[in-house]
Amino acid sequence: MLNEKKKLNKGSLITLIIILVFLIATIVLENTINPNSLLFTVIRKAAVYSLVAVSMNLLNGFTGLFSLGQAGFMLLGAYTYAILTIPNDVRDIIYYLFQGSSFHVSTVGFFEGILGDTGVAAFISMILGVIIAIVAGGLVAALVAYLIGLPVLRLKSDYLAIATLGFAEILRAIFQWDKLGKITNGANALRGYPTFSDFNIKAENGATVLRLSSFIPLLFAGICILVIVLLINSSYGRAFKAIRDDEVAAEAMGINLAKHKMMSFCISSFFAGVGGALFAMFASTVQAKTFTSAMTYEIFLIVVIGGIGSISGSCIASFLYIACSEWWLRFLDNTQYINGTQLPLFRNGFRMVVFSVVIMVIVLFFRDGLFGDKELPDLFKKRRVKKDGE
Amino acid sequence: MANNVLHVENVTMQFGGVVAVDNLSMDINEGEIVSLIGPNGAGKTTAFNCITGVYEPTNGLVEFCGKPIVRNHPQGKMKKNYLGQNPDMYLGEVVANTPDIITQQGIARTFQNIRLWKSMTVFENVLLAKHMNAKQNVFSATFRFNKKEEERMREETMELLVQQGLDKYKDEIATSLPYGLQRRLEIARALAAEPKLLLLDEPAAGMNPQETEELTAFIRQIRDDYNITIFLIEHHMNLVMDISDRIYVIEFGKEIAHGLPKEIQKNPKVIDAYLGG
Amino acid sequence: MEFAVSQILSGISLGGQYALIAIGYTMVYGILRLINFAHGDVFMIAGIMMIYMATTLPLYIAIPAMIICTVLLGFLIERAAYKPLRAAPRMSVMISAIGVSYLLQNLALYITGGQPKTYPRIPWISDTVTIFGARTYVVTLVTPFLVIALVVALTLLINHTKIGIAMRAVSKDFETSQLMGVKINTVISVTFIIGSFLAAVGSVLYFTNYPTVVPMSGAMPGLKAFVAAVFGGIGSIPGAVIGAFIIGICETLIKGTDYAIFSDAFTFALLIVILVAKPTGIFGEKTTDKV
Repeated sequence: MLNEKKKLNKGSLITLIIILVFLIATIVLENTINPNSLLFTVIRKAAVYSLVAVSMNLLNGFTGLFSLGQAGFMLLGAYTYAILTIPNDVRDIIYYLFQGSSFHVSTVGFFEGILGDTGVAAFISMILGVIIAIVAGGLVAALVAYLIGLPVLRLKSDYLAIATLGFAEILRAIFQWDKLGKITNGANALRGYPTFSDFNIKAENGATVLRLSSFIPLLFAGICILVIVLLINSSYGRAFKAIRDDEVAAEAMGINLAKHKMMSFCISSFFAGVGGALFAMFASTVQAKTFTSAMTYEIFLIVVIGGIGSISGSCIASFLYIACSEWWLRFLDNTQYINGTQLPLFRNGFRMVVFSVVIMVIVLFFRDGLFGDKELPDLFKKRRVKKDGE
Repeated sequence: MANNVLHVENVTMQFGGVVAVDNLSMDINEGEIVSLIGPNGAGKTTAFNCITGVYEPTNGLVEFCGKPIVRNHPQGKMKKNYLGQNPDMYLGEVVANTPDIITQQGIARTFQNIRLWKSMTVFENVLLAKHMNAKQNVFSATFRFNKKEEERMREETMELLVQQGLDKYKDEIATSLPYGLQRRLEIARALAAEPKLLLLDEPAAGMNPQETEELTAFIRQIRDDYNITIFLIEHHMNLVMDISDRIYVIEFGKEIAHGLPKEIQKNPKVIDAYLGG
Repeated sequence: MEFAVSQILSGISLGGQYALIAIGYTMVYGILRLINFAHGDVFMIAGIMMIYMATTLPLYIAIPAMIICTVLLGFLIERAAYKPLRAAPRMSVMISAIGVSYLLQNLALYITGGQPKTYPRIPWISDTVTIFGARTYVVTLVTPFLVIALVVALTLLINHTKIGIAMRAVSKDFETSQLMGVKINTVISVTFIIGSFLAAVGSVLYFTNYPTVVPMSGAMPGLKAFVAAVFGGIGSIPGAVIGAFIIGICETLIKGTDYAIFSDAFTFALLIVILVAKPTGIFGEKTTDKV
């Protein structure tokens, strides 16, 4: 990808076509087959996870900063989104344990106030309100990342990992604190805000005309990932890679380490926050206890499976990971019979055991993951017979 | 008299109880090629690191083109444990710059153990040296509003690669090049930063006599072509004697001699230091 | 007064339990430069094994059997998941550790069926006693002494035996010790065996205070023990023990206030403060990178 003109080479073109086919197939399938199929749950969740995994890859894979705070930034994004979009009329019901919310601004309501709250106007208000809230979620995450980054980005690899992990845990505690209950609803869930299914286009009589509830997460995540790809292929992306490859050389060549690390950290957190907002839309409730370090590990394993330093790897790994854990390996959790005899081992939880064994095999024997540091378009290029040095 | 480019004054670098560089002073003028030699462990690379901001010297002053880039006096625990000289000479203002700032002022360097970015191509390695001076920010770069700037950087990089005869390797991964070419690439990368002063840390390390000879010509040529000043550390005496306008010799962090190559060759102290006494 | 005494006693006891886990972290980090994320889960598995063994075996067999199995588990994890990555970048080993942690948790989930399991009542140490008017378990009183005894034994081992010298050599310089003929793999195995042994002992003391064990039971104590290790200066055993006591006491004191929800967060805040102020911890040694 050396020349802008060469940008649309054969590999990129094929990749673009694959993505388009996938998007179109999603819309078509959702409107033809049973919309409650697990397939769509997988697509929605995997879209969200791809974005978070890519944002983590930007930091861990491309900048070489080993951070484990992703769940914390998702939490910030999710809460910001939910707090901003819960309609004012249900707000006090959701916050009943705290005698109502102290926050009475709904972005959706704001646009409805301008554009009107019926029919198409309401739909457009909803879209605008949602987008504003998602971006706000990202910005809050980025701002907090900036504040956290000031002290911790000076730390070296594993210390940074454990410090960011610690910050995520602190954030989780703060959001569960009942003194902030009027804003965060304490340890209770937030709900009632617009979710992906609100994007299904309905006719006047309430019948669904066009289902977009799986297409929208793909679209949102796709746009964000595109931005990250553009960043990585820009001069700043190269600077990030230089820091990863050799910090001392990067600094000696005039790259301000503190500034670039902070930039990468904030941008990664911004998209993690956006990912958190999308996760809130996917899950339809937000609760601080969801965003544990186990969630960060899960996302990190996705990055590893896809290949540290590969965007397309992270995306494809997200889909495979979510499909396996939510869908394809489900049968392992149910008792299975062959010729009437019950097979041993098959019962609740077996799926995750098999799954983690597979992950261990990948970690131990296929350390590069699916893609290593290659990207999907590279696979379609004519390969020069040349092995990279160590 | 030529313009002074680098002025090092009483620089002392002390690690714990070890004085690695002891009250070192030197001057380098515009267009010169100056060598710093000395036995292994004499503190040559440490001196480089003090000039380029990798280490903050314990005491002393470094000026680049008349502007202080490093200035320090013993502080904190060092105040009590300082073993060097002139502890009170540089009290007052402390100037400490990170290496990136010093590079931006116009000092570029190479490393003793080549430090190329291993996942990047030859082209990208050189291109990135242009990053620091590019007129762009992260948004304009991401959304490609910096097209002109990006094109300029690419053109200049290509030009430099052609001049250095590295253009045919431009899409190779930098670390897959043969050793000699990696050295050259590292120098090309430093040149891409458009420095006034180039610091070379053992550029001929690991090279055979023929390669060393080529390197000698190459260093002279870049001095003339790019109109820069060169300061190098080297062990190959042939190269040093052949190329240097002036030589500084240090042992145990202290300067033991400086002068023209032929003076250094005859200096008994230097002969002693090298042959062991 | 009674409240304060009981708080401080249980704080010291909790600190002792963290100390036993923290030693495992700090020793492994000292030698392999690896945050063994799976260590907390080994601790949890020890708890679960105890539950299953105690249902069929008498306690005087179950406890040693559990300790032996935990030690074996620690040994096997090292051989299977970390040894093959000896030449790999440090990040790969850490990823492997996260993978093992994930595997152990899922395994525990599968075996227990996701149900919280009741930890067996161990005679004597589960009894309650009254001290300075505060009612507490015997285990609370026993823990600090046991911890100190074990730490003294461990220090003797490290300072005065051949394997101890080898361990210190490896933690100072991995490659040179290898060249000097130190059997690296033996040293590493012994490190994991000691770490797992202490975690197994710690699990008995820790879970006695809690009614049940669940698959996530190891994660938090594990992280806190790691924080304790960092706090004391990673690689330093006395540092880890002191760090663990400080964290255990602070945590218990906070749990007694209105800010109980921040008891975990406090540990991490402490971690960040120490990392920023003195990244090498209280007893850590400073290392510099050569350019």
